[in-house]
Amino acid sequence: MNASGLHISRTGNAMIHLFFILLSIVIIAPFLLIVSVSLTDEKALVEFGYSFVPAKFSTIAYEFILQSPGALLRAYGNTIFITAIGSVLSLLLTSMVAYAISRRDYGLRVPLTVYVFFTMLFSGGLVPFYILMTQYLHLKDSLWAIILPSLLSPFYVLIMKGFMGKIPHELIESAKVDGASEWRIFFRMILPLSTPALATLGLFIAFNYWNEWFNALLFIDNDKLVPLQLLLVRIMNTLDFLRNNSAYIQGLGLDMSQLPNESMRMALVILVAGPMMFIFPFFQKYFVQGMTVGSLKG
Amino acid sequence: MKKVRHFGILTLGLALFATACSGGGNSGAPAASGGSSAPASSAASPSGSESTLPEVTLTWYYGVTQVSPDQQLIEDEVNKIIKPKINATVKLKPIDFGSYTTKLNTASAAGEEFDLVWTANWAFNYDENVKKGAFLPLDELIDQYAPVTKETIPQFTWDATKHQGEIYAVPNYQTMISRYGFNVIKEYADKYGLDPSKVKSFEDLEPFLEQIKQNEPGIIPFMLVGPLTKFHQFLYGYDDFGVKLDDETFKVNFIESSPEYKQFAELMHRWFEKGYINEDASTVKQIDSSHNGKFAVSIEYTMKPGYEAEIKAKNGGRDIIGIPLTDVTTTRTSNIATLTAISRTSKNPERAMMLLELVNTDRELFNLLSFGLEGKHHEKLSDNVVKTNPNGGYVASNWVFGNVFNGYLIEGQAEDTWEVTKKLNESAFVQPTFGFNFDDTAVKAENANLAAIRAEYEPLLLTGTVDTNEYLPQYLDKLKKAGMDKVHAELQRQLDAWVAENKK
Repeated sequence: MNASGLHISRTGNAMIHLFFILLSIVIIAPFLLIVSVSLTDEKALVEFGYSFVPAKFSTIAYEFILQSPGALLRAYGNTIFITAIGSVLSLLLTSMVAYAISRRDYGLRVPLTVYVFFTMLFSGGLVPFYILMTQYLHLKDSLWAIILPSLLSPFYVLIMKGFMGKIPHELIESAKVDGASEWRIFFRMILPLSTPALATLGLFIAFNYWNEWFNALLFIDNDKLVPLQLLLVRIMNTLDFLRNNSAYIQGLGLDMSQLPNESMRMALVILVAGPMMFIFPFFQKYFVQGMTVGSLKG
Repeated sequence: MKKVRHFGILTLGLALFATACSGGGNSGAPAASGGSSAPASSAASPSGSESTLPEVTLTWYYGVTQVSPDQQLIEDEVNKIIKPKINATVKLKPIDFGSYTTKLNTASAAGEEFDLVWTANWAFNYDENVKKGAFLPLDELIDQYAPVTKETIPQFTWDATKHQGEIYAVPNYQTMISRYGFNVIKEYADKYGLDPSKVKSFEDLEPFLEQIKQNEPGIIPFMLVGPLTKFHQFLYGYDDFGVKLDDETFKVNFIESSPEYKQFAELMHRWFEKGYINEDASTVKQIDSSHNGKFAVSIEYTMKPGYEAEIKAKNGGRDIIGIPLTDVTTTRTSNIATLTAISRTSKNPERAMMLLELVNTDRELFNLLSFGLEGKHHEKLSDNVVKTNPNGGYVASNWVFGNVFNGYLIEGQAEDTWEVTKKLNESAFVQPTFGFNFDDTAVKAENANLAAIRAEYEPLLLTGTVDTNEYLPQYLDKLKKAGMDKVHAELQRQLDAWVAENKK
């Protein structure tokens, strides 16, 4: 360390470490609390409240959910389907549009860019959107109702256009001279050259699809087509809603025991979020790699 | 390679079309269609006589805590019952309460076709949607197709559903009363010799609270919950609109500036200072696990028969005594807490009304919807009482479907609960302004401001958290500045018109 010019004093180093250790604790602590609550006996929860160490250890919440895992597994299946199909299609369409409007020799380049940009500023609103989806496209109770609406995001198109615009035009011209068709240029040259941008956008898009629930809430009635996040949102929303309106509901005598209890809700959170959290660090490695590869080449 | 180029143009065109529609995440491409189309009711003009009724499918949206795995099974059973009777099948569409308002508001604004729809004053708001024209006026349909239901439900409840003289929804008949008072944990009442019959006002409770404070460490003498703590004007002789109950001139009073309001806030503040009231009263949203069973007295708004048994669990499983402070009364709010309306997009409103009549009169059908199948979803304890099985695969709330008095009782409720409740409903004190509904269109902005100010100050003042002398004048001042007088003038004008029409 002393030999290098980047000398950092011992205390400075300790301070930096301390800062990041504290930051990590702040991030990890709530998560540990959820794990702990999910493993606590419900009665102990009522009596002692939340704690980092379960007052009375119990796995009953997990046992209960995993006893009939049908709903959870189906939701996983739906979400994986949406994310996989959606991300691939979305990336393909985004890069195709972006490529077209990034070509300097394309005549309609400016009006089309404005056209794409325009949709970022204005939208039809919820009700027309709903009418289009249900009455013209007949997409109610279909997983395509979740995939289609976010297939093309104008924001991502513009990012992609910015990236592709930096690819030297001479490359394309020389390929043309060599007799390559437009399709060949796009798939064999442009796309491989855009890998860093594709990796970044792909991750964003995949996250969006993975976390999508609002379109599902609107269009999915069939319980077999519910994606993962909606499963979670439904339970949490309903509970919140009923709590906030308890003044009215008191008189009706709603049986709150129909809702999953505290430890079961937390167990569900773990089962929904858990796998993704273990998978993400592995993907992150490639993600960072992709970025640096791109920058070195550039 | 002409073909390929065409394909390319087509794909690009598609992509552009998708972008064009995707601002803010809204888009659609016409190419893909994977799902079934929206349920279509077969269009046919219904006729009055049963023998010639053409077959139709009805769609029914209602709220549930959780969509049940056995939903399809119940739907099939329901259809077995109703098919021979009204030659219709029903598609049940249970939606969780958390999504219900968003989903139905959108579907209804988009003109989606459905027939029956559950509505309330707290979810998929009844008044708002009536004004928007989402529902059909029902007077004629009720007279023609639901005479028994009409008979069963008291007139004042029908009055509560009226908008400009017309009924827009059939109330799901249940407890329509409200009665204000205290819940006292029996254990403590016995221990310190509290005589429930001697408690007539807040002040009468003070010695008891003092004893709890001195002798029961860790127990909150008087548990208050911020958003639920209101100034109960009926207790002080005002009705819901601030009119004195015996006032023949129907003058609207400014409740917050009344001496009673001030006295109440001062009393609460004194109790708060003495440590009778939980310190977090202004922010607590409900009596949840952290407060469960750790208090001696709380406030109750709907003291309906048998409620003591129902809320036992909230009180750490201990018995409670209900001490009512007011007479049994009924408010418009408690009458429109759960209703079923017919959508204006319904193609078969007549048949929908027939189904409603059936649900409200056929015990078998109602119990099937509410409690599922015997042996699988519930156990019968006696002819009338069932024990529900929360893990059986079907749960629903009986009050979203229809007249609960036709249904089973749940374990723990007394056998005569329904009879007693019905009697109470019919004997309830009907406030003079009952049936009047304030239309705030003209003062919408002012009303929204007032509501925001109330939400800010009420939990602080009425739980005694802040000093009344300092905050009450501030509160009144803010209310005045926000247009209290304008709202009152408008309220008075509408009320006068209503009185002139209805009170001769």
